[in-house]
Amino acid sequence: MFESPVISRKSLGVVIIVLAILFILPSFLSRFYIYLLALIFVTGLLATSLNMVLGYGGMYQFHHAVFYGVGAYGFALMLTKTGLSPLLAFIVGPIVAGLVGLVMGIICVRLSKLYFGMLQIALGSLVWAIVFRWYSFTGGDDGIHGIPMPSLISSTSGSYYFTLIVTAVCLVAMYLIVNSPFGRVFQAIRDNPERSEGIGVNVKRHQLIGLTIAGFFGGVAGLLFVTVEGSVFPDLMFWTLSLEILIMCLLGGWFTFLGPMLGAAIILSLRTFIGIYTEYWTIILGIILMVLIFFLPEGVLGYFLEKAKARGKSAAAEE
Amino acid sequence: MDLASHITASALLQQTLVGLSKTTILFIVASGLSLVLGVLRIPNVFHGSLYMIGAFLTYSVAAMLGGGSVGFWLALICAPLGVALISLMIERGLFCRLYEREHLMLLLFTFAFTLVFDDLVKLVWGSDYRSLSPPIIFQGSFSVFGLPFPRYNLFLLFLGPIVAFGLWYLTNKTKIGKISRAAAVDREMVGAVGINVSWVFAAVFIIGCLLGGLGGALVAPTQNITQGMGHAIIIEAFLIVIIGGLGNIWGALLGALIFGLTDAIGILLWPQFAIVFPYVAVVGVLIFRPKGLLKSTW
Amino acid sequence: MLRVESVLKTFDGFVAVNRASLGVGKGEIVAVIGPNGAGKTTLFKLITGHLKPETGRIVFEDEDIAGLPPYRICKKGVSLSYQVVNIFNRLSVFENVQVSVLSHQNKTYKLFSPARKLAIEDTKEILDNVGLAGKADRVSGSLSHGDQKILEIAIALGNSPDLLILDEPTAGMSPEETSVTIDLIKRLNAELGLTILFCEHDMELVFSVAQRIMVMHQGRSIIEAEPDAVKNNERVQEAYLGGPE
Repeated sequence: MFESPVISRKSLGVVIIVLAILFILPSFLSRFYIYLLALIFVTGLLATSLNMVLGYGGMYQFHHAVFYGVGAYGFALMLTKTGLSPLLAFIVGPIVAGLVGLVMGIICVRLSKLYFGMLQIALGSLVWAIVFRWYSFTGGDDGIHGIPMPSLISSTSGSYYFTLIVTAVCLVAMYLIVNSPFGRVFQAIRDNPERSEGIGVNVKRHQLIGLTIAGFFGGVAGLLFVTVEGSVFPDLMFWTLSLEILIMCLLGGWFTFLGPMLGAAIILSLRTFIGIYTEYWTIILGIILMVLIFFLPEGVLGYFLEKAKARGKSAAAEE
Repeated sequence: MDLASHITASALLQQTLVGLSKTTILFIVASGLSLVLGVLRIPNVFHGSLYMIGAFLTYSVAAMLGGGSVGFWLALICAPLGVALISLMIERGLFCRLYEREHLMLLLFTFAFTLVFDDLVKLVWGSDYRSLSPPIIFQGSFSVFGLPFPRYNLFLLFLGPIVAFGLWYLTNKTKIGKISRAAAVDREMVGAVGINVSWVFAAVFIIGCLLGGLGGALVAPTQNITQGMGHAIIIEAFLIVIIGGLGNIWGALLGALIFGLTDAIGILLWPQFAIVFPYVAVVGVLIFRPKGLLKSTW
Repeated sequence: MLRVESVLKTFDGFVAVNRASLGVGKGEIVAVIGPNGAGKTTLFKLITGHLKPETGRIVFEDEDIAGLPPYRICKKGVSLSYQVVNIFNRLSVFENVQVSVLSHQNKTYKLFSPARKLAIEDTKEILDNVGLAGKADRVSGSLSHGDQKILEIAIALGNSPDLLILDEPTAGMSPEETSVTIDLIKRLNAELGLTILFCEHDMELVFSVAQRIMVMHQGRSIIEAEPDAVKNNERVQEAYLGGPE
C-alpha cells in the first residue's frame, strides 16, 4: 500500500525478454549492426552514468566525458604500455576513473550549479590538454590504435556479448543504487539541498560519493569502448562529447532510469542512418535539440510517462 | 622535460609582448561572452562559432575586395556586423522566449546553434583551412630587443586598451550601459520602471556577439582559419570569464592577461605542453577564488 | 534544554538579531512572537546552524552548538520546520518523511539495499500521527498548501528530535487546518514529550498553546515570561499589540 515494488513481475518479464532478444540478435544481423548495437550499449551506459548525478543528483556535470576518456585511456595504456595481465587492465581503468571523479569532486563540490560545472570543465580541459600533447605516451592527437584484446572478446560478436553483459550488470548495479536509501537521499539533495542538511544529511559527502560512482561507471563505459573500437583518441574527453551525452539524457528523459539509454539509442541510430544520406548530420542534431528544449523538456520517455500518469489519474477519478 | 636553456631577458620580453597581443583577442572575445553571461545569464557556447564565422567572413570579404589593405579594413567592419546580424535574427526569433529557463537548458540551446552553424560553415566554405595576410602596413616585423615582433601584433597590442576603454565607457557612462547593468542585477525592477527590458537584452546580446565576431576578424591574419577554431576559443573564453568574474569587463581583461601571459611563459619554458600552463593557472585561481577574482554580477 | 545567550547576527551592516536571548526547558512549549522583521526566523536559523552568529552562545543539552553545520546540529536532536515550505517536491509524501527517518537511522550510505523495505514502520507512524497517511503516495509538489505545511512538520519529526522548532506552522492555513495543527502541537508535546519552540503571528494560537512566550522587537528580546505577564506588559503592548488596552 505504501510501497510500490521496485520492479514489478511484469517489468521483470519484459526485461528478461529484451535481454533474450539481444542475446540471439547477432545470429540475424550483419557485423555492422552488431557493432552499432554494441556502441549503443556503451554510449547508453555512459549516458546513464552521467544521469546518476545529473537527473538523480541535480548536479551540473558539464564534462562527464573526462571519465569516459580516463577509463578508456587507462585501459588502453595498461594493455599497450605495461606487460601486466589484461585482467588487471579491466579493473584498473574504471578504478582510475572513479578516483579521478573523487578528486575532481573534492575540488568542485564546494561550489554549486554553474560554478561547479565550469570548474569541472577547467579541470577536464586540463586533463585533455595533457593527453593531447603527450605524444610519446598517449599518442597525442593520433591516439592509440590497434589495441590488442584477449581473443575471447576480440571479434565483433565477442565484444558485443562482453559489452552486453557488462552493461547489463552495471545498469542493474546503478538501478539498485538509485533505489537504495542512498539514492533516495541523493534525490532529496537534488530537490532541496538546504532541507537535506536540515534533516541531518552531510550533503557534500553524499555528493562526493555520487560523483565517484558516476565517474566509475563512466570509466567502465570507456573501457567497453576500447573493446568495441580497438582504439582511443583525445576526442573521447573533449567537451563537445560531454554536451552530446547531456543531450542524450535530455532526449531520453533525465528523470527516468532508462531515458538516457533510449536517448543514446535514438541519437546513434539517427546519426548512422541520416549519415547515409548526408554528411551534415550535426545540423539535424542541432535542430532536434532545439525542438526538444522548446517542446519536450522532460524528454521522450518523460513525456510518455507523464501522459500515462495523467491517463491513470483521470481513470482513477472516474471510479 | 625540455627546459629551454637559452632563455634570455630579451626572449622573455619578446614572448611577453606576444602574449600580450594574444591577450587582446582573448579579451575581446571573453568580454563579449562576459556581457551575455553577466546580464542575460546565458552561457553562450555559440560565441565560439561566432568567432569562427567572424574569421571566415573577414577572409571572404577581403578576398572579394581584391585581398588588399582596403579589403581587410572593410572586412574588419563588415564581418562583425554580419555576425551581429545573425545574432539579431537568432535573438529575436528564438532566444527571447527562453530567458526564464534554467542555465542548463540555455547552454544546451546555444550548443544547438553551434552544431547547426558548424555544418553551415562547412557548407559555405568547405572543409579546408583558409588563410589571410595582414594589410601591407602591418606586414613584416619590428625588431624588439633583438628579436622579431610582428607589426600586426603591435597593432593588436594597442587595440586592446582602446577596446577596453570603449567597453568601460559603454557600460558605465552611457544610458544603455547603466540600464543593462541594472537589469543584470534585477531585471524585474528595471521592467517595473517602464524600460523595455526586452530591447535592452537584445542590444546586449548583439553587442556581445559582435565582440565575438570582432575577435575572429582580428585573429584572421595571424593564424589558420579552421573549422575547429570555435571549439578551442570558447573554452578559453569561458574560463577567462569565470576567473575574472561573471559580467565584469575588467575581470575579462584580467583573466585574458593571466591566460595570455601564462601561455607565453609556457611557450618559453616547455613548448610541448605550453597549452597546459593557462589551464593550470585557471584551476589555481578557481580553487582559491571560485567566484572569480573581481566582483561578478550574479 | 536550550539556552540562547546574547547572539548577534548582522547582514552587511543590518543587525537582524541584536543580542537576543532565549531559554527553553525540557518538555516546554515556548513561543517567540514579534512583528515582521523582528528577527524570529533569523534566530531560528541561528539555532539550527543555517546561519552563524557573530557573538553569543547557543547551548543545547549543555553542548555549545553555535557555528556547527546544520546536519550536525540536527543529529544532536534539533529539528526545524521551515516558514516557507521547504519540501522535496519531486518525491512522494511517503518518501519525503522516509528520507528524514533514514537520516536519523544513519542508513543514508547504504547503496545496495532496497529503500522501499526500510524505515517503513517509523514513516507510517509519523504519517498517521500528522494525518497524511491517506496521501502517502502522492507527489508532494501536488499537495495543497496546508498539507504541505503539515508535511513540513512531518519531515522534521522524521529525525525523532528532542527539540522541535516550528517557524510559523500555520501561515496560510484555513481555520480548520489551523485548529488541526494546534491539536497536533499539543499532542506532540503531551504524548511524545517533545519540547516545542515555535513562532507565530496568530495571537489566539500563541496564547492558547504556549507555556512561555518570548517577545522580539527589532532583533532584541524584550521579555520572556508567562502569557499573562506578556499580555499585560507595557513595552510589549507599545511595540507590538498596539498600545495599552
